[in-house]
Amino acid sequence: MAPHGEGAPLDPTVAQVGRQPISSILIVIAMQTEALPVVNKLKLVENPHSPFPEGVPWVHYHGTYKDIVIHLVWPGKDLSLGVDNIGTVSASLVTYASIQALQHDLIINAGTAGGFKAKGAEIGDIFLVSHVAFHDRRIPIPVFDLYGVGSRQTFPTPNLLKTLNLKSGKLSTGDSLDMTPQDETSITANDATVKDMEGAALAYVADLLKVPVIFVKAVTDIVDGDKPAAEEFLQNLVAVTAALDEAVDQIVNFITGKCLFEL
Amino acid sequence: MASHGEGSDAPVDPMVSQFEKHPISSILIIIAMQTEALPVVNKFQLVENPHSPFPEGVPWVHYHGTYKDITMNLVWPGKDSTLGVDSVGTVSASLVTYASILALRPDLIINAGTAGGFKARGAGIGDVFLISHVAFHDRRIPIPVFDQYGVGSRQTFSTPNLLKALNLKAGKLSTGDSLDMTPKDEESIAANDATVKDMEGAAVAYVADLLKVPAIFVKAVTDIVDGEKPTAEEFLQNLAAVTAALDEAVARIIDFIGGKCLSEL
Repeated sequence: MAPHGEGAPLDPTVAQVGRQPISSILIVIAMQTEALPVVNKLKLVENPHSPFPEGVPWVHYHGTYKDIVIHLVWPGKDLSLGVDNIGTVSASLVTYASIQALQHDLIINAGTAGGFKAKGAEIGDIFLVSHVAFHDRRIPIPVFDLYGVGSRQTFPTPNLLKTLNLKSGKLSTGDSLDMTPQDETSITANDATVKDMEGAALAYVADLLKVPVIFVKAVTDIVDGDKPAAEEFLQNLVAVTAALDEAVDQIVNFITGKCLFEL
Repeated sequence: MASHGEGSDAPVDPMVSQFEKHPISSILIIIAMQTEALPVVNKFQLVENPHSPFPEGVPWVHYHGTYKDITMNLVWPGKDSTLGVDSVGTVSASLVTYASILALRPDLIINAGTAGGFKARGAGIGDVFLISHVAFHDRRIPIPVFDQYGVGSRQTFSTPNLLKALNLKAGKLSTGDSLDMTPKDEESIAANDATVKDMEGAAVAYVADLLKVPAIFVKAVTDIVDGEKPTAEEFLQNLAAVTAALDEAVARIIDFIGGKCLSEL
C-alpha cells in the first residue's frame, strides 16, 4: 500500500507481487448486517476450523470465485453484550490476525459510513476511498499530532474507480457514532466526505504488514443533515447494505484475473 | 480476570481459577512509551530479544529476562516507522497485547504507564495508582447495548493483598486516544467515575479479557487534568521524574509477586 502523502513510492514487496494476477483477497466487514449479504452473494462458507485463537468471537468465511480465493472476516459479536464488535480496536485485531493466519494480495474493507452532504454525499452512495485518517486521536505535541491523525493514502485503483463509476472521497475514522464540535473540526481538517468507525485502523495494520488495502463505504446517514445519526443509520442500514454488497460483487468481478497494478 | 461489573462476586473464568494455584512463572509488562519503559528494563536488567517473536516490519520491541524465578517479558510498541514517535494509543496497545499473549503465554499482564489525574478525586503529581476498573471515554455509540460495548467497562484482576502491602492508591481508569479532553470526554470520564486518565488501559484490558489472561494496571500521575496547566506541557515537564516513581512501583510489585500464586495477590 502506498504510504503517507501523494505519489509516494510503493513498497518493493508490493511492487514485486503487483505483477502477478491477484490470487487471494481478504474482505474485512465490521457488522453482521453488512457482512451476510456479501457472504451470500459470493457463496462463501463459514470456516469450522477457525484460524483464530480459541475464545475470540471473530468469524472467518471463505470460498473461491473465478480463481480468486476469498476470505471474509467479521469480528463477530461481543461475548458479553452480544453486539457487533465495531470500532478501531476490534478492526485492527481482526485485520492483524487475518493477515498473520492467511495469505492475501489485497484487503478490501467494506462497510457503511456517514456522509457529508456539503461534500456531495447522499444516502446510498458508494465511495471508493482515496485517503483515510482518524478524527478522534488528538495529541497536541509536535509529530505525535500527525501520528494521532494517522493519515494514509489507500492503494491506488484508478481503473477500478473509472470502470465501476464509483464516487471517490476521503474517509475519517473515529470510535464514536456521534460527532462533537471537536470531531467536526478534525473531520474537516481531514477533508473527509465519509465518516466510519474502522477504516483508518485497518489502514494502519495493513501498512504495518505491507498489504495493499482499499476501502468501499456506503452512505447510510447524512452527518451534516437534520436527522440524528443513530436513527438515520438504523433506518437505512438494510437497504444500503444491499447496495454495498452489489458494489463489492462488482469489485471482485473487476479484480478477477488482474494484477494489483491493473487496478 | 473478573469480567464486567462491580463486586468480587462476579464469577472468575474457570481457566483463571485453575492457574491461580500455581506460583506465577511468567509476567508480561506492557508499556507504551520508551521513556516509561527503559527505567523498568534497566532495573530488571532485561535485554532486547534479537529474535523478535513479532512479524517482520512491526516496530514492537520485546525485552526479556529472569527475576527471582519469574520469566519477565516487557513489550513496548516501539516508534512509529514513519514518524518516529512512540506508538501510543489503543490500536497499538491492543495489537501488541494480542501478539505478545500469543507469543509469550504470560500468567499475568501488568500494564504500567503514566496518566493524567483528577485532583477533585484525590490525585496528585507522582501518585501511583493500582487500578480497580477500566473503561473508554471516547467511544460514544448512542444505541442500546452498543453504548455499553463502546464504554467497555471492566473490572481488573483483583489484587487486594498487593494493594494493601504496597500501600498503593486505588482508583478507576478511563482511556481515550486523545491527550486533551473535550467537554464530552469530561462527561464520559465522570460517568466512568475515573480518578486517572490514560491512552491504552481499557484496550489492553479488552484483549486480556478476550484471551483470558489476568491483567493489572499501574498508573503514575504526570499531570493534573482538572488543574490550571495545559496537559501536554505539564505531562512533558513531569515525565522523567514520574517515570522514576513508576519504575520504583513496578519493582516493588514484581518483588511482591515473586513466589506467589494469582490467588495470593
